[in-house]
Amino acid sequence: MTATENATALRPLHTQAPVDRYLADMWSRRDFAVAMPVEQIRASHQDTLLGNIWHLGNPMLNVAVYYLVFGLMLNTDRGIRNFILWLTVGVFAYRLTQASVTGGARSISRNQGLLRSLRFPRALLPVSEVISRLLTFGFELGVLAVLAVGTGEGVSRRWLALPFVILVHTMLNLGGAFITARLNDSFRDVEQIVPYMFRLLRYVSGVMFPIERYLDNATTAPHIQRIFNLNPLVDLINLYRWVFLGLPMELFQVAQLVVVSSLVLMVGFWYFRRAELRYGRS
Amino acid sequence: MAVPPLSISVRNVHIEYELYSDRRAAIAQRLITRTGTGRSVVRAVRGISFDAREGEAVGVIGSNGSGKSTLFSALAGLLAPARGQILVSGEPTLLGVGASLLPRASGYRNIRIGCLALGMSSQEIDARLPELIEFTELGEAIHRPLRTYSSGMRARLHFAIATSVEPKILLIDEGLAVGDRRFKRKSNQRIRGLLDKAGTLMMVTHSLGEIRHTCDRALWIEQGKLVADGEANDVVDAYTEASER
Repeated sequence: MTATENATALRPLHTQAPVDRYLADMWSRRDFAVAMPVEQIRASHQDTLLGNIWHLGNPMLNVAVYYLVFGLMLNTDRGIRNFILWLTVGVFAYRLTQASVTGGARSISRNQGLLRSLRFPRALLPVSEVISRLLTFGFELGVLAVLAVGTGEGVSRRWLALPFVILVHTMLNLGGAFITARLNDSFRDVEQIVPYMFRLLRYVSGVMFPIERYLDNATTAPHIQRIFNLNPLVDLINLYRWVFLGLPMELFQVAQLVVVSSLVLMVGFWYFRRAELRYGRS
Repeated sequence: MAVPPLSISVRNVHIEYELYSDRRAAIAQRLITRTGTGRSVVRAVRGISFDAREGEAVGVIGSNGSGKSTLFSALAGLLAPARGQILVSGEPTLLGVGASLLPRASGYRNIRIGCLALGMSSQEIDARLPELIEFTELGEAIHRPLRTYSSGMRARLHFAIATSVEPKILLIDEGLAVGDRRFKRKSNQRIRGLLDKAGTLMMVTHSLGEIRHTCDRALWIEQGKLVADGEANDVVDAYTEASER
């Protein structure tokens, strides 16, 4: 090899970029991360008669079902002021996490064509999945606002906290999406299991009824209570209810939520990136 | 005359992949015995080394299943070698006909998404889009879903996307063979332009005429190993002779 050859900058192709370079690379392709979800939303209800109306129709039908079962038939609404708004807030907030994490699981397996043809930071796929769900959540926030005003809750200054609440929520969802994306790439079975996991989580996260009612000190062991209290979704849903209904929220809970969400995001990102070079090869 | 600088250096590269059909057995084995030994591994590329220089067009030939496409996936950075190393001077772009980006989206949308993924900004794409669409000559079909395209139409679209960023290293895996004469002529012009700007082209094709016509040099790969590396016409002659025997 001559000296001139050494002067040309040949660099190894298959090295994992350091985190800062990787993030910079992701940032430079942010237009891609936004265009993908728009594409997905466009395609998701392409074949249905009502088309994009389903982005609103699905969550509202969900609320209707829960209202019938938990409000009218099981009477879990006892003692809850403005149950319909209370329930809707819970369902919408919960569904955002559920949809983001379930969608994240499919983000790698579903885009094999892209993965096999183009090189880009793979983390953009779970990210765009989460963004896509956030876009639909925008519609749902509109429904919540209308419902809050319609049920006499009125417009509140607490609404100003929404960007912060959504940010923390997104950190949690993104972390979850990263984890399921990689898991599902190694074991396609994960895609089948995740929905059941969320069905279970729904009942312990206080979506349709307050879990405190079933967690009184007399009957539940302290370590069980501690496990229940660590569930970030409980704090998150409480936070949304504080925003829309003015229900009490302790600062300690908010702090715990921020810590847990950041941890989930960091662990998820780290775990996802470790397999960066493997995605799309099966 | 000075030799142009290297743009690709492939050093003793081995590439393996797991067979998808055996995945279940592989997972079961891994879970139960906690060893990775029982996996069904295909050793597609077994120790290949070569260099390519700026301005060089290198063809790759070999029979079906010889490891050409696997090698190209690795050269594109989509597949990591099990052993060995690939060094490059710039970001390689792969053009293949097999994978389609977003089958349900229109050709137009696919160009946008593809260019965005390659790192172009929205504004850049808006500026370049008319020219790219013009190049594909797809006409009204550009607004039809990609899954309705013929392989030739897909090839035009992929070629437009892959060359949109003027790659320093362009890898074509059977990308042009499916095109008609007119498209071949146009794409050849683009490739010439690329080579003149010190780019490097590597192409896999079963059209030996295309190798003779486009490439200066050819690699012959058989069963994951390099059989010959030399002047395009010589290698093609040797290959033809061997396959007719």
